[in-house]
Amino acid sequence: MKRRVIVALGLVVVLAVASTAATSAATKRTAANSITVWLQTDAQSGWADVVAAANQQFQAANPGTSVNVQYQSWGDHLQKFDATLAGGGGPDVIEMGNTEMTKYMAAGAFAPLDKTQFDNSSNWLPGLAASGKYGGKTYGVPYYAGSRVVTYRKDLFKQAGITKLPATTAQYVADAKKLLAKNKQKGFSPVYLAGTDWYVAMGFVFDYGGSIATQVSHKWTGMLDSPKSIAGLTAWKNFFLAASRASKTTDETHPNPYDVYAQGQAASMVGPSWFIGSVGKKYTASTGQFVMPGHVKGQTMPGFLGGSDLAVPVTSSNKALAADWIKDFTDTQSEKALQAKGNIPNATSLLSNSVNERAAARSWFVPTAKHWVDVENGNILRNMLAQILTGKLSVKQAAQSASDNIASVLNQP
Amino acid sequence: MSRRSRRRLRQAGWNAVGLAVFVVMVFPVFWMISTAFKSNDQIVALKPVWFPLHPTLQHFTDAIHRPYFWRDVLNSMIVVGITVAISIVVAFLAAIALARYRFTLREVFVVLIIGIQMLPQAGLIIPLYVVLARYHQVNALSGLIVTYMTFVLPFCVWTLRGFLIGIPKDLEEAAMVDGSTRLGVFMKILLPLMGPGLVATSVFAFITTWNEYIFARVLLNDQSKQTITVWLSYFLGTSRNTDWGALMAASTLTAIPVVLFFIAVQRRIQFGLTAGAVRG
Amino acid sequence: MHGTSTPAPAAETTFHRSRRRRRFWARSARSAVPYGLIVPVVVVIALILGYPLYWLAKLSTQRYGLFELIQHHGSSVGFANYRSILHDSVFWHTLLRTVVFTAVNVTATMVLGLLIALLLVRVSTPVRLVLSSGLVLVWSMPVVVAVQVFYWMTNFQNGVVNYLLTQLHVGNFEQHDWYASTFSQLSLVTVLIVWGALPFVAITLFAGLAQVPRDLVEAAEVDGARPWGVFRDITVPILRPILLILTSLSIIWDFGVFTQPYLLIGQSKIHTGNYLMSVYLFEEGYFKADFGRGAAISILMLLIVAALSVVYVRRMVRIGVAQ
Repeated sequence: MKRRVIVALGLVVVLAVASTAATSAATKRTAANSITVWLQTDAQSGWADVVAAANQQFQAANPGTSVNVQYQSWGDHLQKFDATLAGGGGPDVIEMGNTEMTKYMAAGAFAPLDKTQFDNSSNWLPGLAASGKYGGKTYGVPYYAGSRVVTYRKDLFKQAGITKLPATTAQYVADAKKLLAKNKQKGFSPVYLAGTDWYVAMGFVFDYGGSIATQVSHKWTGMLDSPKSIAGLTAWKNFFLAASRASKTTDETHPNPYDVYAQGQAASMVGPSWFIGSVGKKYTASTGQFVMPGHVKGQTMPGFLGGSDLAVPVTSSNKALAADWIKDFTDTQSEKALQAKGNIPNATSLLSNSVNERAAARSWFVPTAKHWVDVENGNILRNMLAQILTGKLSVKQAAQSASDNIASVLNQP
Repeated sequence: MSRRSRRRLRQAGWNAVGLAVFVVMVFPVFWMISTAFKSNDQIVALKPVWFPLHPTLQHFTDAIHRPYFWRDVLNSMIVVGITVAISIVVAFLAAIALARYRFTLREVFVVLIIGIQMLPQAGLIIPLYVVLARYHQVNALSGLIVTYMTFVLPFCVWTLRGFLIGIPKDLEEAAMVDGSTRLGVFMKILLPLMGPGLVATSVFAFITTWNEYIFARVLLNDQSKQTITVWLSYFLGTSRNTDWGALMAASTLTAIPVVLFFIAVQRRIQFGLTAGAVRG
Repeated sequence: MHGTSTPAPAAETTFHRSRRRRRFWARSARSAVPYGLIVPVVVVIALILGYPLYWLAKLSTQRYGLFELIQHHGSSVGFANYRSILHDSVFWHTLLRTVVFTAVNVTATMVLGLLIALLLVRVSTPVRLVLSSGLVLVWSMPVVVAVQVFYWMTNFQNGVVNYLLTQLHVGNFEQHDWYASTFSQLSLVTVLIVWGALPFVAITLFAGLAQVPRDLVEAAEVDGARPWGVFRDITVPILRPILLILTSLSIIWDFGVFTQPYLLIGQSKIHTGNYLMSVYLFEEGYFKADFGRGAAISILMLLIVAALSVVYVRRMVRIGVAQ
């Protein structure tokens, strides 16, 4: 007994010494020639080779440097970033969602960058470039974008006698009815669309000429209760009720639409273009994609242009090296490699004619307000959509209250 | 019906209830393990597959081959091992003070011990980060270890004190009269008697630290320095595909060390948790 | 180990003084022993939590947003943060919801835990072994994992719970949306929390029950006591200290619970109408990057949970001080 205790204590001491030794060695290594990069895990699982190539290129140009890439997840990377802003030890380069940028730029969290340093900067996607600009200065370099398209089952469409892909939303609804007539199992969605997927719902709003909020001389006004926005929301509601059997209160990741699709419970779904790779073995061959049509023939539905920017935090002690790394990671070669993985590259000059790039041609973006991210995190839009679909409030009432809510959040000091 | 058979019937009834409770409680665990062995088609199937007839190990190999699995398991073991060992030793000392001495600040100390547990941990994330960054303990296992200790110690002190009170003082006094040294008394009498109590307390400390997520997530940045719960969260952090099968397989794997630890100490815990808590 | 002081010898004036001095030193050395023993614990806690607590208190009286965070410098606003929280109707609604939630969770945990513990005493040994190892399995599941499994079991499309309830003819639960209403969301969270807490409570109480003297129970039964009477007059008094500790710990844990509601309900469904206190703290403090307000909420939470559990804690302190 006694001996065992002594052995155990000895082991503990050894472990403790080893761990402190390891950490102190690690702290020393983060010296002047090393930069730390925070990327989202999407890069780790999707294009680790592109990251590695950029690192190599960077190290070849800057001998004696090292790059420490630390992968983060969307759910909590901002909280972690906040902690490092307060205490230090943060990254030299950080990937930010384009809707997350404004709040941090306004608070002075990022160092300004020289736009001309980066490849294709005169042709950056306008929507993405705007998300990295504040007060006339560039703080974020567009990294990549993604658009939303329709992924569909060719076989089911054919079975239902649909010979031509829908050119308007109304046609799509008519097709949905045909699909429903052929597929009577419970829970089957002709178009799987999550109830609170505000990215799709706002597409309808913009398609009808509405918007979320506008700014007139520093004051934000909520626009969801404008007649055009209400027309859009009503169209979206009718579309959902006709075509989707998804939960009216769930978001676009619970469940993942492609899991529903893989169950054979959906003839089509609206979502990021990479969905096509996740539909399961059974349906891979019979799956295609098209651009979501708008309500006017010949016009596509405006899609949310999601994307990421790369920025250099003010706390970085290697800002020049950090900018160099961003330059290597967003050069034409890297962007082309990202494009090959199904992403939209950061510049119009690089665009080809893939379905997601066509969808990106008509796009919308959230209001670039300092407090926009609070609207998102407060789920004001999702809450409104759930209220509309469940019939708790009329479209007008729900839009009115959401609109007021948004205005008051955006106008916070 | 004879008295005996009635008794037997009643016993059978209790056993049936016991098994029913077992089934309900364990169902989520069963579902996790069974999902881990299913093929992707079976996982999303509308009609649930209870037992995969052709279990696949694919998800387990996928999970293990994700980067940093073994590294992060090792990190977790280091963190848990050191936290539990040091906490138990240090808490034991304080527990002796509480159980065997009267001193002026005792009440203050007891209030401190209970009060610590009332702090909302979510509010402490940034302040703790700032103070650890000052000591260069961010992104270091040692920083996580001391953080865990502050949250595990109060509970350990409290339970160990309970166990100590359960041991009659006369035993020690007799040994002192016999001329044993204080250390001798401690090693020969107190320590063996405290075995179950130490085991029970360390089980609690083990599970709490092994399962902790929030502080580990915020304090550790390098994937090579993270703990296993943070590693697990990477299954969910991406905006892309959630691999349910691999997630369930990985979750099953992370539970194994806890179960093994339990099996190792299981025989002692049955008393263990008793004595301490009951002797208020 | 203590209190073996002998009465002072009367005479011997020569050595009197030095011996008294020596005794003074011995006594103070002895009275220093307990302080020496608690020093490590106090040092660790003070070193790690001392400054953060001070920071938290200071922060709660400052305007401290993202800008101030980056500048490492806030501006003092007195008690404005507290005032604004106490005037926020969301705070009061959240507080009420959390208190009710805590009461339900603690009651369910304690009652079910006690029932399982009593059951463990009744069943035969093999069943006891099976049941207790099942409890251990449940205990060993990390919260993050448990949340995922619960979500997976209750998902809208092919949740196994929906399937089972439909098959058992409880009703038509095909495509039942468990996350549609606040009540349903919080009920699921309660199930998750109680399920996760039961092993600890049940095993601890079972161990306590094992200490109930068998002969005492038998004697009472011979005297014609009903099972309920035995339970009330013999079992409960013996279990009282342990029930006290478990209840107070449960109150503290359930009042401040964060991971389960936040992850199970899911960020996209969190809104002011289903906040619990920790979620409120998290949303106000971190998501809105108003760290001063977040700190003030933390401190208010500390005060409230102290008030809620004051009865239990006072008894515990008394137990802790008396021997």
